[in-house]
Amino acid sequence: MARYGMAFDLRRCIGCNACVIGCKQENSLPDGVFFTRTLSEEYGVFPAVNRVYIPTLCNHCDDAPCEKVCPSGATYTRDDGIVMVDDEKCIGCNSCAVACPYDQRSVMSKELFDNGLFGEGELTPFEEQGYVRFTPGTVTKCDFCSERVDAGLDPACVVTCPTDARIFGDLDDPDSDVSILIRERGGRPPLPEKNTKPKVYYIT
Amino acid sequence: MATEQPVIVGDSFALGYRFQRYWNASMASAFFFGELGAGLFIVSMFYGIVPGMIGGLVATGILKAYFHLAHMGVPGNSWRAMMRPDRAWISRGIIAIAVFVVFGVAHVLLEVGGIFGLELAVGGALPQAIKIIAVLAALGVLLYHGFLISHSSAISLWSTGLMPIVSIVYALLGGAALTAALGWNGLAVDVPEAMLSLHALMLILLAALAVVLFSLMYAALNGSPGARVSMNLLLKGPFARLFVPLVIGVGLALPLVLLLWVPATDVTSLIVAAAVLVGYYAFRVYIFKAGVYDPIMSFAPTHGTS
Repeated sequence: MARYGMAFDLRRCIGCNACVIGCKQENSLPDGVFFTRTLSEEYGVFPAVNRVYIPTLCNHCDDAPCEKVCPSGATYTRDDGIVMVDDEKCIGCNSCAVACPYDQRSVMSKELFDNGLFGEGELTPFEEQGYVRFTPGTVTKCDFCSERVDAGLDPACVVTCPTDARIFGDLDDPDSDVSILIRERGGRPPLPEKNTKPKVYYIT
Repeated sequence: MATEQPVIVGDSFALGYRFQRYWNASMASAFFFGELGAGLFIVSMFYGIVPGMIGGLVATGILKAYFHLAHMGVPGNSWRAMMRPDRAWISRGIIAIAVFVVFGVAHVLLEVGGIFGLELAVGGALPQAIKIIAVLAALGVLLYHGFLISHSSAISLWSTGLMPIVSIVYALLGGAALTAALGWNGLAVDVPEAMLSLHALMLILLAALAVVLFSLMYAALNGSPGARVSMNLLLKGPFARLFVPLVIGVGLALPLVLLLWVPATDVTSLIVAAAVLVGYYAFRVYIFKAGVYDPIMSFAPTHGTS
């Protein structure tokens, strides 16, 4: 069984946010909800200034704190390492959100679905077909586009990236692109001090 | 060498500290009433104050439950919160609350039966067993809140072993202050030595609270960057205007002064109870408000080692 993970090549990321848009379209995310973000920071002193981009998403931790605190068993890990949320079981207590050190949980409040993208109480056809996958009041997150992965495809953010800054694959396969990249260029997990064993690595 | 950047970036796409925004005043109220109710029940039971025991059960069984359900996204599924006691403190807490309410109500019924001279068809060791189970469950309710947030490594301010101790001290102090206020007429007149011991208990708990609060502040200010940012928000930042006067001034210093230097009356007992509860509630609200997530920057080219 594969153990899926991702690597971000920070030298390649240009901060175009195409991954963010691709994710929102693939998952029909309501206004203000993001499963992936490209954070940025400016540094240096004029005229030697620059900007760094840090893509983020759920790290699908091997020792996921969100799963440990979930009182209803809604958060679980698949055999392939993808951390999932079962909407049917989620009670919307938000304990997973405060337990995730990476702030990668999204609360799907009822207002998001009532107002719609244009805030007029009327949903567009795109919203109507997309929002059926969510249960208002629950907490959700990135699932590495599990439906695409099950069909043998890469997650939407990966295929949308124009610079191949996102590399997805099997971390247990030493010959996969993601494993080679992490091994050869020294991939580092985010906030390793939190001991969550993330399956997302950053290559600088 | 990682650089500390105490910048709160809100919900923007920028690197920096982010406030936790998932547990709000409703959740703080649930914590407050849950702990206070359990503390009030335990202290009232010790001093035999039935209104205090009933108040404790109402606070934990009704007010806490109300604020929890108000906070929950899918309240209809709330029964599922008991499903994972093997790993989740929320599940353990809900079970402790259920046991506490059932056995607490049973104990109060036995106590009321005794007051009215009613002969209940319960004898032997059963009433004592009910009492012990109610107290143990109440202790479980006291403790789970502290363990729940101290296990959250995401929010550095909360991730400390001091949190369960704060919960115990605040809950027992609030319970003692309310027991003194509710039971003044009975205790001060009929059992003055009991009131003296209650005042001594409050003084000890206030001293313990001072030690725990200042330890929490010291640990946070000398701890991880996230905890430092949170504590600076509470002591010097935008939250300091209310946190310091309410938690330290009203909740700690004022009751200490009243208990040490003002003659004990029914009015001072009420003021002490009100002051303790104001400080306690403010602590719960602002500890939630000041919680921040650490920025993911240890590997960034600007902050990393590459």
